[in-house]
Amino acid sequence: METSFAITGKGYVLMAADTTAARSIVKMKTDEDKIKTLSPHLLMAYSGEPGDTVQFAEYVERNIRLYQIRNVYALRPAAAASWIRRSLAESLRSRKPYSVNLLLGGYDTSSYNPQLFWIDYLGTMTEVPFAAHGYGAYFALSLLDRYHDPSASLEEGLDTLRRCIDEVSKRLVVTPGKYKVKIVDKDGVREIEL
Amino acid sequence: MSIMDHNGGSVIAMVGKDCVAIASDLRLGDRALSISSNFQRIFPITDRIYVGLPGLGTDVATLRERFRFRVNMYTIKEEREIEPETFAHLVSSTLYEHRFGPYFIEPVMAGMSKTPSGGYKPFIAATDLIGCLNFAKDFVVAGTASSKLYGVAEGLWEPDLEPEDLFETISQTLLNAADRDAFSGWGAIVHIITKDKIITRTLKGRMD
Amino acid sequence: MARRYDSRTTIFSPEGRLYQIEYAMEAISHAGTVLGVLAKDGVVLAAEKKVTGKLLDLSSAKDGGYGGSGEKIYLLNSNVIGGVAGLTADANSLVNYARTAAQRHLLQYNEDIPVELLAQRLCDMKQGYTQFGGLRPFGVSLLYAGYDPHYQFQLYHSDPSGNYSGWKATCIGANNGTAQSLLKQEYKDDILVKDAIGLVLRTMSKTMDSTTLNSEKLEFAVLTLDPETKRPNAKIYRPAEIDALLLSEGLTKQDDDTEMKAT
Repeated sequence: METSFAITGKGYVLMAADTTAARSIVKMKTDEDKIKTLSPHLLMAYSGEPGDTVQFAEYVERNIRLYQIRNVYALRPAAAASWIRRSLAESLRSRKPYSVNLLLGGYDTSSYNPQLFWIDYLGTMTEVPFAAHGYGAYFALSLLDRYHDPSASLEEGLDTLRRCIDEVSKRLVVTPGKYKVKIVDKDGVREIEL
Repeated sequence: MSIMDHNGGSVIAMVGKDCVAIASDLRLGDRALSISSNFQRIFPITDRIYVGLPGLGTDVATLRERFRFRVNMYTIKEEREIEPETFAHLVSSTLYEHRFGPYFIEPVMAGMSKTPSGGYKPFIAATDLIGCLNFAKDFVVAGTASSKLYGVAEGLWEPDLEPEDLFETISQTLLNAADRDAFSGWGAIVHIITKDKIITRTLKGRMD
Repeated sequence: MARRYDSRTTIFSPEGRLYQIEYAMEAISHAGTVLGVLAKDGVVLAAEKKVTGKLLDLSSAKDGGYGGSGEKIYLLNSNVIGGVAGLTADANSLVNYARTAAQRHLLQYNEDIPVELLAQRLCDMKQGYTQFGGLRPFGVSLLYAGYDPHYQFQLYHSDPSGNYSGWKATCIGANNGTAQSLLKQEYKDDILVKDAIGLVLRTMSKTMDSTTLNSEKLEFAVLTLDPETKRPNAKIYRPAEIDALLLSEGLTKQDDDTEMKAT
C-alpha cells in the first residue's frame, strides 16, 4: 500500500516514497516518482486517490513555478506550504474535492533551516520533525518517536530511514517493494540511492 | 464518530481577579493516530485578546487566517485595536456566514476589555460552530474533552483568583480533563492575560 | 495643438507622449517633499507637510493611530512604510489599496508581502489608468520603505505612469532635484540608521522653503529590525517625538516671528 516518510536532520530534509502505481489489486508500474521538485529548495511527496494526485501535484508545481518566474525568487517553504494548504482547504468545500495527502520538505535559504510540513486532503497542516502518510505511518511514527534525532548527520538520517522501510516491509501485509529517496538541503534537491 | 473529533484537541478559558486565562492541549491527531505534539490552536489577536480554535484542523488554520485578515483590516481602518466584545461579534458573524455549511470549530475567546473609566475588566466568551455567543462569567470550555473539562472546572474554579492561582487552576483543570480524553493531551500551553502583560507557559502532561 | 491629445490619458501625442501622465508628474513636483534613505540596518523616511495652520485639528495625531499625522506617511503593512507626494485624495485611495493587497498576500501565503511585490501591485493599478478608460491617472508618487527576508531593507519609488525603481536614497516632490544632488554628495554605502536620520533631516532642512523645521511641517519614520525577534519594526514618529528628535539633532530652526512675540 502507498507509503511515504520524511524526516528532518541537521540542515536537511529526507523524503522517501514508494514507487508503486497500482489500480485495485494490480501493480501497473514499479518505478513511479511520487516526489516532485517544486522549486530549487522544495520537495513534495504526494499520495492518495490516483488521478487526483498527479493532477493536483502538477497544478501546484506550475503555480509555484509561475510565482518564481514572476518574482525572480521562489516562495519560501512556509509560504508555499500555506498556499498549498489553502488550495486543499478550498477544494474540500467544492463540488469535487481533491483527495491528496502531502509531505512538504524544504530548506529555507534566508533563515538556513530545514522545514517539514504534514498536510492531509482536508487541508490540515502542521510543521513536524518527522512525518508519514499511508499505512506505513502506523509503524513508522512510533519507530521515529524512538529513533529520530533532529541533529542527526545525513548518514544517521539515512539509517533511521532504512529502519522505517524495513519495519514496514516486515509488518505490513501488502508492502511496497521499492522506494525513491530524495534530499533537500542548502545545496538544493537531489536523489539518493539507499 | 463526529467530524468534530477527527483531529482532537480542547480549549478552556477562565476569569480571575483582573486577569483571564486561556489554555489548550497540543495534540493534533488523525483519528486515533497522533501526528503532532506541538500543534498551536490558540492565537493572539491583539496584545490583550487571545482566541482558541478547537475542532477540525483544517478549519483551525483557515479561521485563524480569516480572523487575522478581518482584525487587521479593522485595525487599519479604525486606527485602534479591536475590543474583545467587538471581536466576539466578529467571530460570531464570520461563523454564521457559513450557517448551512459550517466551519467545524467552536471558538473560545479570552481578553481584557477597556472600561469607560480607563481600567480593564476580564472578558471571556465562546460560541458554537455556527456562531451562537455564550458570554460566561466564570469559565468556558470546548473541544473533545469539553464534557470532562466542565466537571473538573466546576470543582476547581472559584471567583477572584490572582494570576498565579488562576494559572494553577486552569492548568490542573486542563491536564486532568485531557488525561481522561483519548483525543486530547501531549502537554498544554497556558496564557495568562493581565492588563499590562501576558504570561505564557508550556506544560508537559502525561506524554503518552 | 497639445489640447487635441491630452483630454484623455489613453491617447498618444504625435511626438509619442502621454500628456496627462506628464501633467500628473508635474503636479507631484509641486507637492510636499518626501525623502528616503536606505541604510545598512534600516530605512529612514521624512516628509514635508504642506497643509498647516493654527485652526487645523490635529488632536487625533497626538495619540491613537500609528503615529504621524495622517497626511504624508502611512503604515502600509507591518513591514512597509509608505510616503506619498501628490494629491492627498488619490493617495488615500492608493494607500487603502496597498493595505488591502498586503493583507491579501498575508492571507494567501502566511508571510508579510515582499516589498517589491507590493510596489508591483500598486504599479499594475497605476499603469492601468494610462491605458484603460479612466479620466485621469493617479496624481501620486510613492516611496516604499520596507523589509523582507529576500532582499532585507529596501527603498522603492513609483510614479503615476506605473514605473517603479529601487534606490539607495531618493526624493520626490518639490525641490527633488536639489535634494537628490545633496544626497548624492553625502550618501555612503555603509551608512547606519543613526547617521541616515541626520542626513535626512539635514537635507530636509535645506530643501524646505519654510524657515521653521518642526513637527508642524515635518513627518518622520524609521524602519529597523527588532534585535530580539528579528522582525521589522516600523516606527512613525508622533509630533512630540519629532520635535524631540529635531532638538537632539540640533536642527530646530528658529522662527523669527515667535522670537518677536516672546519679547
